[in-house]
Amino acid sequence: MSSDLDFADIQGNILRGYGKDYVRHLVLSVDKSAAARRWLFDATSGDDSITPQITTGAPWNGDKPSTCVNVGITHAGLAALGVPAASLDSFPHEFVAGMAARNKLIGDTGPSDPSSWKAEWRHVERVHLVISVHGDKPEYCASVADRILAAGRAFRVLAALDGAGFEGGKVHFGYRDSISQPQFHGVHGPDTRRDDQPYAELGAMLLGHRTPIENLYWEVPVPNVLGKNGSFNAFRVLEQQVEEFEEFLTSCADELLAKPVGEELLPPGIEKEWDPPMTRREAMREMVAAKMLGRWRNGVPLELSPNTPSPKPRIGDKGLNDFGYSHDPDGQRCPIGSHLRRSNPRDAKTVQRSTNHARRIIRRGIPYGPQYNPKKPVKAERGLLGSFMCASLTGQFEALLYDWTNLGLQDPRITGSNDPILGNNDPLFSRMSFPVGDDVVTFRGFPHFVHTRGGAYLFQPSISAIRHLASLSGGKDGGS
Amino acid sequence: MKILAKIWGFLKRVVERVLVAFWRIAAPIKTPEPGYSTSLPDNLQMHMNLVMPLADRTAVGQARAVQAVAANIDELFTGLSNVGTVHFARFDLINGNLCMFSVFDGDFRAYIRDFIMVFGSVFDSLLGLVEDPPPSPCTKHPEAFIDWIHRHDSFQIPRDLTSLFPEEKNIKNLSRDLVLLLDQNPHVQIGRYSGYPGVSVAQIRDKTGLGW
Repeated sequence: MSSDLDFADIQGNILRGYGKDYVRHLVLSVDKSAAARRWLFDATSGDDSITPQITTGAPWNGDKPSTCVNVGITHAGLAALGVPAASLDSFPHEFVAGMAARNKLIGDTGPSDPSSWKAEWRHVERVHLVISVHGDKPEYCASVADRILAAGRAFRVLAALDGAGFEGGKVHFGYRDSISQPQFHGVHGPDTRRDDQPYAELGAMLLGHRTPIENLYWEVPVPNVLGKNGSFNAFRVLEQQVEEFEEFLTSCADELLAKPVGEELLPPGIEKEWDPPMTRREAMREMVAAKMLGRWRNGVPLELSPNTPSPKPRIGDKGLNDFGYSHDPDGQRCPIGSHLRRSNPRDAKTVQRSTNHARRIIRRGIPYGPQYNPKKPVKAERGLLGSFMCASLTGQFEALLYDWTNLGLQDPRITGSNDPILGNNDPLFSRMSFPVGDDVVTFRGFPHFVHTRGGAYLFQPSISAIRHLASLSGGKDGGS
Repeated sequence: MKILAKIWGFLKRVVERVLVAFWRIAAPIKTPEPGYSTSLPDNLQMHMNLVMPLADRTAVGQARAVQAVAANIDELFTGLSNVGTVHFARFDLINGNLCMFSVFDGDFRAYIRDFIMVFGSVFDSLLGLVEDPPPSPCTKHPEAFIDWIHRHDSFQIPRDLTSLFPEEKNIKNLSRDLVLLLDQNPHVQIGRYSGYPGVSVAQIRDKTGLGW
């Protein structure tokens, strides 16, 4: 790492992933402001014997900890900690309003409407902090979480949300996740670079730094010590309708197999060459899943391998991200409306010409609920605990969901349609079309496969900012 | 009779002014914030009617504004083209106000942000001529700039007037609320029509072979 940035001053989950298999997110309300500030002070004191320490971005130099802790604070949480009104007012309006109030903009309507969210998220004024404990084992997460909660009885627990990773980095719906993340100037060197996408500027994630947009700087909330090097996190509980998704794959596959275009899409016999070989129906289901996402479920991108999830020579992990769309302008290989291409158009032509690389966000997610087994289907709530991080919620996260996920404004050929996986879809109107040779295949009638069950806009302050917060007075119960 | 009518008209206006001043205190209203809709036509062909009072409203001040727009017109048009989501935009000078009226696709704030990216510096120079301008340069104060533009964007009155005040329980008060709304927002858009609803500018350009 080489940069002017003091990595020890930023929270550790922003510029790098921890690669931990387990997480416990504590959704908390501040009960005693002074005790909460005391915890923030202790958690950045460097003395782990008092309370678990907030993990910073400082290099581990081979000594990776078994647990990592991070904290995000809502606007109501900042007020509860005693942040004065002038400072609270200097935060961006969407953060002040909160995620639930922005629901129509980000597609949280119908089954995702905030009125249907889980109880812990429904009273937005009570959600103050989300403390995330990542660990190598679930008992590590539980033990660290218990130690945090024991400290001074500062917090009331609204919920403890546990997530556990699946084998091979897969998530519900069976896709391998977290393959593509922005690479940053001064953070990622050529040896770790996996694609030709431009390096992202630090200001895409951290306040007070140059952004990917020439000369543009997001405003830093005041005082500077509170805002600088902070980041925003759209924390979301996303329930996935796995059974409906799998059923949809089957119905589309059956429909395609009955049409001549099915043979063009999946040339007869090719499925026997796949590793592992599949029946024709299984293979067509996988093809439908790949067209919807833009990658095969094992992570191989359609852009590099449009006909098989097991190309020869094999595409290694480093190659999974090394592609663009400029040679596939019509989406013959990777549909323009697929989740991957909508969310990050890379080098594709877009209507809003200056935005191609300006809306990139960091995605960190881990599944919750039991893994779906089609042979022994069990009804259960399952989904993703997701953190979507950026320096501007409105300029990146919301713009992504509004313009690209749900409106398809980036390309006239998909305008008016939603992302087939994440979009706010209604079976009456939903559609996704893509070319197959001279023909066009259209999927219709798919529902909202992902329902938002809760979430909050969080501010992830720097370590200096956390110490500043610890030094305040006032808040819910006054005192210092 | 004419004199009596004039006196009556004058008295009526005085009473109305007093009444509005009283209502401001006794029954204040808050200008509603525009809502979002998931319906496609409600997210395409959005309107922005920017009315910016000139700092110098004399003929000389207005001439300066005309010259400033004319000097930057090519850059403005290239910028609007690069934003990619703009159907129409025009610059007018009306009664000492520098106006920009435009029709665009998508979210208002995203539109203005794109605007900052592609011709923020031109706008900084134009805003040097208006009253109470936003902090400059807009690239360093994007949110303050967007908020300022939002404040100078004419309020858009929906087709259903009653939807303006969903909290108002007494339908008889709606006229009073409307008066107070106009008292707060002297510039409003009353209605809009589209000959091709639910279509984006890129879709039109694509279908007509103009390229997008």
